Amino acid sequence: MASLTPVILLPIVTALLILLVPGNYRVIVRLLAVLGSGATAVLAALAFFGFEPGQAGFQFESLVPWVTVGKLSLAYHVGADGLNIGLILVTGLVGFASVLVSWNIERNPKLFFVLLLLIIAGALGAFASLDLLFFYFFNELALVPTFIMIGIWGRGEDRTYQAFRITLYLTLGALTALAGLVALHVATGAQTFDVVALKTLLAEKPLSTSTQTWIFPLLLFGFGTLVGLFPFHSWAPGGYAAAPTATAMMHAGILKKAGLYAILRVALPFLPEGAAHWLPVLAWLCVGNLLHCGFVALRQKDLNLLIGNSSLAHMGFAFLGIASLSVIGITGTVIVMVAHALLAALSFALSGYLESQSGTVDMTRMGGLLKRMPVFGTLLVMAFMAGCGLPGFANFAGEATVLFGSWKPLPLVVLAAAWSGLILGAVYMLRALRAILYGEARPEFAKVEDVGWWRRLPFALLVAGLLLFGIAPGLLSRQIEPVAREIVKSATRGSVQTASVGAAESR
Amino acid sequence: MEHAAVQHAVESGSKIQDLAWVILCVPLVMAVGTTLFVRKDRTLSALFNISGVVLSFLLSAVLLMVFGGDSAECTPFHWLPVEGLNVNIGLHLDALASLMLLVVTGVASLVMIYSTGYMLEDGSYPRFFSSLSLFVFSMLGIVLADNFVMLFIFWELVGISSYLLIGFWYSKPAAADASKKAFLTNRIGDFGFLLGILIVWSALGTVDFALAKAKLAENPALLGSLAGIAGLLVFMGAMGKSAQFPLHVWLPDAMEGPTPVSALIHAATMVAAGVYMLCRVYFLYTVTPGWPAALGFLGGLSAATIISLIGAFTALLAALIAVQQNDIKRILAYSTLSQLGLMVMAVGLGARSADPSASMYHLVTHAFFKAMLFLGAGSVIHACHHEQDIWKMGGLKSKMPVTFWTFLIGTAALAGLPPFSGFYSKDEILAVALEANPILFGVGVLVTVLTTFYMSRLLLVTFFGPARSESADHAHESPGSMKWPLVVLAVPSVAVAWLPLGDFLSAHFHPGHASHGGDILFGPFNHNPIAAFFGLGAAMFGFSLAFSLYWKASKDPLPATLGIVSRAMRNRFYFDELYETVFIPIHNLVSHLADWVDRWLIAGLLVRGLTGVADITGRALRLVQTGSIQAYAFLFTAGVVLVVLLARK
Repeated sequence: MASLTPVILLPIVTALLILLVPGNYRVIVRLLAVLGSGATAVLAALAFFGFEPGQAGFQFESLVPWVTVGKLSLAYHVGADGLNIGLILVTGLVGFASVLVSWNIERNPKLFFVLLLLIIAGALGAFASLDLLFFYFFNELALVPTFIMIGIWGRGEDRTYQAFRITLYLTLGALTALAGLVALHVATGAQTFDVVALKTLLAEKPLSTSTQTWIFPLLLFGFGTLVGLFPFHSWAPGGYAAAPTATAMMHAGILKKAGLYAILRVALPFLPEGAAHWLPVLAWLCVGNLLHCGFVALRQKDLNLLIGNSSLAHMGFAFLGIASLSVIGITGTVIVMVAHALLAALSFALSGYLESQSGTVDMTRMGGLLKRMPVFGTLLVMAFMAGCGLPGFANFAGEATVLFGSWKPLPLVVLAAAWSGLILGAVYMLRALRAILYGEARPEFAKVEDVGWWRRLPFALLVAGLLLFGIAPGLLSRQIEPVAREIVKSATRGSVQTASVGAAESR
Repeated sequence: MEHAAVQHAVESGSKIQDLAWVILCVPLVMAVGTTLFVRKDRTLSALFNISGVVLSFLLSAVLLMVFGGDSAECTPFHWLPVEGLNVNIGLHLDALASLMLLVVTGVASLVMIYSTGYMLEDGSYPRFFSSLSLFVFSMLGIVLADNFVMLFIFWELVGISSYLLIGFWYSKPAAADASKKAFLTNRIGDFGFLLGILIVWSALGTVDFALAKAKLAENPALLGSLAGIAGLLVFMGAMGKSAQFPLHVWLPDAMEGPTPVSALIHAATMVAAGVYMLCRVYFLYTVTPGWPAALGFLGGLSAATIISLIGAFTALLAALIAVQQNDIKRILAYSTLSQLGLMVMAVGLGARSADPSASMYHLVTHAFFKAMLFLGAGSVIHACHHEQDIWKMGGLKSKMPVTFWTFLIGTAALAGLPPFSGFYSKDEILAVALEANPILFGVGVLVTVLTTFYMSRLLLVTFFGPARSESADHAHESPGSMKWPLVVLAVPSVAVAWLPLGDFLSAHFHPGHASHGGDILFGPFNHNPIAAFFGLGAAMFGFSLAFSLYWKASKDPLPATLGIVSRAMRNRFYFDELYETVFIPIHNLVSHLADWVDRWLIAGLLVRGLTGVADITGRALRLVQTGSIQAYAFLFTAGVVLVVLLARK
């Protein structure tokens, strides 16, 4: 494969094709969506397995100059390195899975699939972009349809309130981040938003410490809000509970990772002294994710709220790896991002399936469903076990790596993380399994049906991904490690310089 | 993963020790294959899984013959290569591992064969066998692990396997709760274990056993003031799996699983994992003791000493509880706890001479006779139509002769009568205790009295006297598939200690160690007659006490004599109640609080405060409700234009 452009274009082209199909040709609309997203997933997988770890610079790169506004030149610039190639793979996979589970959408499937494909394209574009304006544009392209989808296809009584809350939070978060990006651009005096160019520029002429310390929090909290950083997290569980299944899968699985990605791609390497100033704060905030959200998850009776809160707790691990600013920790963060993308999508897909069968997500009303739905039950056990850090699934590999990487700089936070992952996670996950699957079978669920043969495909794909990266996390870490080393090198530049200056002076 | 590694090894000139990969993976392949392909076929699923484990057993025997306890490394699989944390899945063979391989696969094979009879009428027969195979795979991973992270990985896999098996009858609320309890209690231990691993890794810079051992041998003070903490945290893992006080509460509840599962968990796999792990990482317990300033009062006390105290306490506590249990499986469960306590005590005491071989020795003999006792109990339960109360049994001696005689052998071995295997291994523990700490020696002797007492009680009430219920009256011997595994297990239960196991294990910890010589059968009376005679006397005393109370008894006289003490014993000294009324409510309280903060402070005040004025909310809501794409597009374009204008300056 020569470039990532086809991966990004394919879902857009599919969406356009679907627009041309009359709305009542539902089967064609669905088939097009499945084929388009399936082909996208295949292309993403080809890129992932064709990627050669350890090479300097970007692979599958394309650079097309676009417009010049005054002194500012904008270019379409995409490429892959160890930081985003795994994310591109899981975006393809989760996108395909989310289209598959939406096969039965009855209300305006045409618009639904167009929006869903736009989310997929937006996410792929955001991860692939090496130009910050394009990154922002693609990210918005993915976010905006999610608000519309919650409004139209959402679930639950209070979905308008939830849709409003999620829109409000994410828009404010995105605007804050945009302010940070613009400020960064202005402060450097660069004529471009290109990541590579900015990096070279900043390596030669770093920003002053005071500038860095006020731009960094704009990026950290702006992008952090998109991820659900404590205390800007409360939009997430309710928002996911109100979103249609496919949207929850894409949002919790993929779009959340864009915020983390931007912090790793932009904030850390470009603003080393800002990072030195603000990462200790991040370390304490991620305890909020790990423990606060973990404890909140313990209380939930609604399966979607449980998954949403547990997903926030997992984001604590990702933030912890970033805060550790160590090669091992950041490698762990990226593995967590990939693993959690698969897991969050799988969990929401399963809860969506359960709701379609039982008509409820209230766990207190369920029980004994394993007997009627052995395949579904097995999948749910696997998903929840992955969720409480069982080795063999990718999440363990990522979380353990984060713990190792963060132990020396942040032992107390690691303590919190281990408690959250090993104890709290196990308590709420096992309680949920006990409530949903085990115990006496209830008569009111006599009609539920197990996952039929071809319906297993999306679940099987996601489980396979979790197992693959759980059994061989080296597939990811070999790609990530060189980039993580680069990030740590750039991000510790400030302190290293200060230290060497100090050493020179003392001499 | 493993296949790739095996493949690789074959291509690059295979080494014979790479057979260990096959031993490890065959049970996994069978478990996965059964689940995917023969989920509906009862016969095939049993056949596949049994032949898989038997194959592992035979290959383990081959490896023991080839290497005879020498060390060997297999071609590793690079699991997570990151600089500073290179985690391999690498298999390490030595005397400990070779012996454990045989014990695990041997006992597991017999338990699986037995299950073909015991589980015959169960609808989920294939699921049962694949879960057993998964369990064996996880346990073999622990046995073969060559580094801390791999050990932890398989440690967790044992946890999930036990969860699946204890909760096998998931429709039964008690079983579903017991499986949850087992997993969570173990997780508390794993929490400490993981922190211990992190400390060891950051102090030594490696997770590899061989490297860590070499570094600590070079400089025993390398762990510095963290030595004690690291040792105890790693021990927390063993505390969970080997059910040591205060994490012992899960094990008796685990009896809710099918009886063959109890036999496997209590004999050769899960509970053995803790003691085995301590022996595997023994280099952590022979270092210079050290504590951080806050724990300075512990002074010269080493982690190993604390471990021996915890073990002794568990041994005594569980033996006391066992005296007043009436459920045949629970008596055996508490007996397991108590015996594990002795092993853990021996691990701790052995640190003085850097030789925990007494505990490994007892682990091996115990694996055989305890598996046999549990399978015998299963045979009794099966015959009495799932009656488990020993006071509703009786007179089974003549109705179930094979079960009776094997059970008798198991009891004699557990009580520690010569020439049964348990005598020799327990004698080693008593001898070590006598040398190291006379008080713990006293505890060991007391536990021996109690052990003989409760086992004789169990034997006398169950097999002698009149039948006390209809089902016991109509009992008859179990089918061949259940009978023969008992008979086969009886052989090592009697005679495994006649092999020079003690020397074999000592040689592992002390290469070039002088052997005891040939007189194995009478050895104990020659080198440490005090320990041997005390052990024997304790057993005699326990038996005569039980005989006087329970010979032809129709009900238990102890509750009347002991009163409140008996009630406390019967209620397991109220530890479960303590945890349920103290620790769990604290966790729940915190979660209430967190939820309240989320609901009212963060979501309520912040969001609602932010949205503030009602009509703004209304308008914004309407905007979303219409899902107006134009509005979004407009806002978005406006944003981009603004950015570009700003950027132009």
